Amino acid sequence: MLAAMDDTTRIQTADADFDESYDSFTDDELLVEEISIDGMCGVY
Amino acid sequence: MRGLLIDAAKAYRLHPKVAVRPEPFGALAYHYGNRRLNFLRAPELVALVHDLGNHPNLDAALAASGIETRRWPAFRKALDALLASDFLEEVPA
Repeated sequence: MLAAMDDTTRIQTADADFDESYDSFTDDELLVEEISIDGMCGVY
Repeated sequence: MRGLLIDAAKAYRLHPKVAVRPEPFGALAYHYGNRRLNFLRAPELVALVHDLGNHPNLDAALAASGIETRRWPAFRKALDALLASDFLEEVPA
């Protein structure tokens, strides 16, 4: 039977996975999206 | 990859043929001249686009917007895309 992971181990793993350099607000943030509506005339 | 067309030192405004309709995600913007449609995916961008013409240049508009400076590159890129689609026009000096 596997020993249950204790809370300390879980927390340390989570910290190791967290990338502090990650920033969702980079210049890759998609703020404008052009939508093609060509050929939509007559579509009901 | 091309460089940005938009110049942070120049003044811009929404093109008069563009209609902006607020949506929960930001807004729909439609150009009645070239029939192009854009989603503006942030309410801050919508407010910025409406306020652009009230400032002497793009960076002044960004400074007045309250948008965090770390997000300015993304907003400049968005405004550049709108300029390339003729949704923005340069304000004559």
